[in-house]
Amino acid sequence: MTAGRGRALVRVDGLTKSFGATRALDSVSLTIHPGEVLAVVGHNGSGKSTLVKILAGFHTADGGSIGLRDGAGPPTELRFIHQDLGLVETMSTLENLGLGGRHGRSPWLPLRRAAERRVARQLVGQFGVDFDVDAPVRELSPAERTIVAIARALQGWDEAETMLLVLDEPTAALHGAEVERLMAVVRRVAERGAGVLFISHRLDEVLGVADTVLALRNGRVVGHLPCSDTDYAGLVDLVAGGSVDSLERRDTERGAAVLRVRGLAGRSIRGLDVTVHAGEIVGVAGILGSGRDELCAMVFGGHPRDSGVVELAGHPLAPGDLRGAIRRGAAFVPGDRHQDGAVMTMTGVENLMAVRVPGAESRWRRLRKGHEAREAATWFSTCGVVPAAPEMELARFSGGNQQKVVLAKWLRTRPRLLLLEEPTQGVDVGAKALIHRLIATTAGEGTAVLVASSEAKELAELCDRVLVLADGVLVAELQGADLTEFRVLHASVPA
Amino acid sequence: MSAPRTAPDRSTKNPEESEGMTVTDAPPRQDFRRGLRRTLAFRNISALYILAVMIAVFSVLAPETFPTVDTVRIILTDQALTAILAVGLVIPLAAGTFDLSIGSQLGLAAIVVAWLLGVQGLGLWTSVLLTLAIGAVVGLVNGLLIVKAKISSFITTLGMSSIILAVVSWVSHDAQILDLGQDFQEVATHQVLGISTSVYVMVVLAAVAWYVLDNTHLGRAVHATGGNAGAARLSGVRTDAVVVLGLVSCSLLAAVAGVLLSSSLATGDPTVGPGYLLPAFAAAFLGSTQFRDGRFNVLGTVVAVYVLATGVKGLQLAGAPVWIPELFNGVALLVAVAVTRLRKSGGRARETA
Repeated sequence: MTAGRGRALVRVDGLTKSFGATRALDSVSLTIHPGEVLAVVGHNGSGKSTLVKILAGFHTADGGSIGLRDGAGPPTELRFIHQDLGLVETMSTLENLGLGGRHGRSPWLPLRRAAERRVARQLVGQFGVDFDVDAPVRELSPAERTIVAIARALQGWDEAETMLLVLDEPTAALHGAEVERLMAVVRRVAERGAGVLFISHRLDEVLGVADTVLALRNGRVVGHLPCSDTDYAGLVDLVAGGSVDSLERRDTERGAAVLRVRGLAGRSIRGLDVTVHAGEIVGVAGILGSGRDELCAMVFGGHPRDSGVVELAGHPLAPGDLRGAIRRGAAFVPGDRHQDGAVMTMTGVENLMAVRVPGAESRWRRLRKGHEAREAATWFSTCGVVPAAPEMELARFSGGNQQKVVLAKWLRTRPRLLLLEEPTQGVDVGAKALIHRLIATTAGEGTAVLVASSEAKELAELCDRVLVLADGVLVAELQGADLTEFRVLHASVPA
Repeated sequence: MSAPRTAPDRSTKNPEESEGMTVTDAPPRQDFRRGLRRTLAFRNISALYILAVMIAVFSVLAPETFPTVDTVRIILTDQALTAILAVGLVIPLAAGTFDLSIGSQLGLAAIVVAWLLGVQGLGLWTSVLLTLAIGAVVGLVNGLLIVKAKISSFITTLGMSSIILAVVSWVSHDAQILDLGQDFQEVATHQVLGISTSVYVMVVLAAVAWYVLDNTHLGRAVHATGGNAGAARLSGVRTDAVVVLGLVSCSLLAAVAGVLLSSSLATGDPTVGPGYLLPAFAAAFLGSTQFRDGRFNVLGTVVAVYVLATGVKGLQLAGAPVWIPELFNGVALLVAVAVTRLRKSGGRARETA
């Protein structure tokens, strides 16, 4: 498709947005023309999702403008496919398509099943795919589900209207062939004259589908060029910041093996051996669904395992026996703070003391307020929790400080093994540095640390060794001079 | 109740990270005053202010009958059973579980104890202990259905409630059981210092529940389970055990209330029980708006029971019609829940356990 043909669908000019001290977007400009697929690439925290959220009207920009028409005619309609597709899993494609409420009939009239089925078939058929529109959506493949969401978003669009389809990380949960199927659909939408804004962190697929690519780093546009002018390595350079960062490596004193995992298998992991030594920080990298996001929970025992042995200092950890794991010295900071990490309705100190230290704290005996106040003072200051208000409800702390409390809760138990999932997700830059320092200090005291992160940069900076997973198996192990952000990224992307 | 706290002295740099909360290095005296002001704030102890206003108003409206020692004694005794039931209910609610069967459980215990005594002719304490054991088993079944069969607590206890009503009808043949003996009647009505034993039993049970819920790690585990069961589990709390234990305790307290009810009526009445459900819920939810900023708590609940009872009694003595208690309790429940929701949209009871 010839980008730049005709009038622009959307013209974004000098968009700026800050959250507190963090500048999420710094005068970002872009234009999209009919028939153009624009890919926006960048790391977590580069400003991709902020851009989408501003376009969607969820955030208001601090500065800059968004023009939805160019010259005459009605304004461009924006339609969004978010990462969470917003489908009702238990209902069929047919029913999900009807939920948009564009059928033009009174909601009180009976449904016209046959007509609806025809329309539904036609809607998914336009993308050259064919599947059972009466099957519940949860039985479809991830790509098919995304196609249903796209079909729903495109409902009622005729080619005379100007329309921009925004896809936020549509391929995050997809694998090889699935991605290609979806890419074909995206191309077809563009061929029919819509603009497509496509957010992704998978650089290879971007090259396959997009006409133009916009690279963001730390909220700034670091590249805006036709895909024909670049290649994979060029994109990685743009996204990662060109040079390979050389960082001061800690001197690691590798102690005895603390964690020993043999033949671990479960939902997303298919046979994995991991050993982590005392004082060592081992990173886990990989794209979503590679097993990266499940390894820590499986080691801790929170997720079921199909097979495999997990040993902590020689003692086996049984799946499901979380208390046993904690007693043996395991600590687990889950990736989803709200869902799994903390009780937001309870106070800071209550969250800090949620893991009882046996011996020091009795279950039945009266809580010792003095002891708790001292512990809170110590740990809130060690972990730099601001404000140092232990009696405040956790929900009222900022994200970074909530995360520090969750970390403090586990550090207080003096763990032998610290399992971390996305330890700095949704955390500002200052808190991030502090959390990294805490992790390094803990390892320095002899704790074995296993940290899973979607951020290659974080792993390259923090870890002594990084395991890269793809499709549930180990595909690379990087350490020493090989351990760079570029290498981690490169190894993570399935070939 | 917010006791005066000394703010930790090492408030850390980076002021832009603090969100609308002032960190103070205030001297202890000022800190104490602020604590006192917070404790006495209307939003913290509104029920006590409402109680004071009600006492004043009803004393004017019914000066002969309302402000008397007898009225106080009647309210204390009458409401002891509701208070026991409501205190029991606080435990599962704090753990994020509903128990809609407490009313019929109270009725079950009332009829079972009468049946064991009057029909089966068992001894006094044997009958009482057996009744309590049956109560605990009902709670255990509720709990296991919730954690093992993964039925939501709402549905489990609703179904259980209906089953219990059937059992009550079957055991009693829908007739009152009389002749329970003078000894049994004494259990609830024996008076010490002019106050009947039910009130003392209530005070003791409430004190135990308060101690465990508000002052131990176990109580904190209960609140954590209610606040976020997933996070509690990953912190090493046996959340299933907490849910089951909460329901068993609740059922046990309902059984105690049932035994005391039959004792004070000197009759096993198959129709009592369900009527206690709403007042207990109203009190527990109203109680959660008191003292602990939206958290279910025993002290607030006991206060709420008596505030509601004082309102009802005052209205009756002032000549209000007979349907007033139901109206009053229903409105109180809705207002209490609305206030809690508006105040903290983040806190929600776990509806499926």
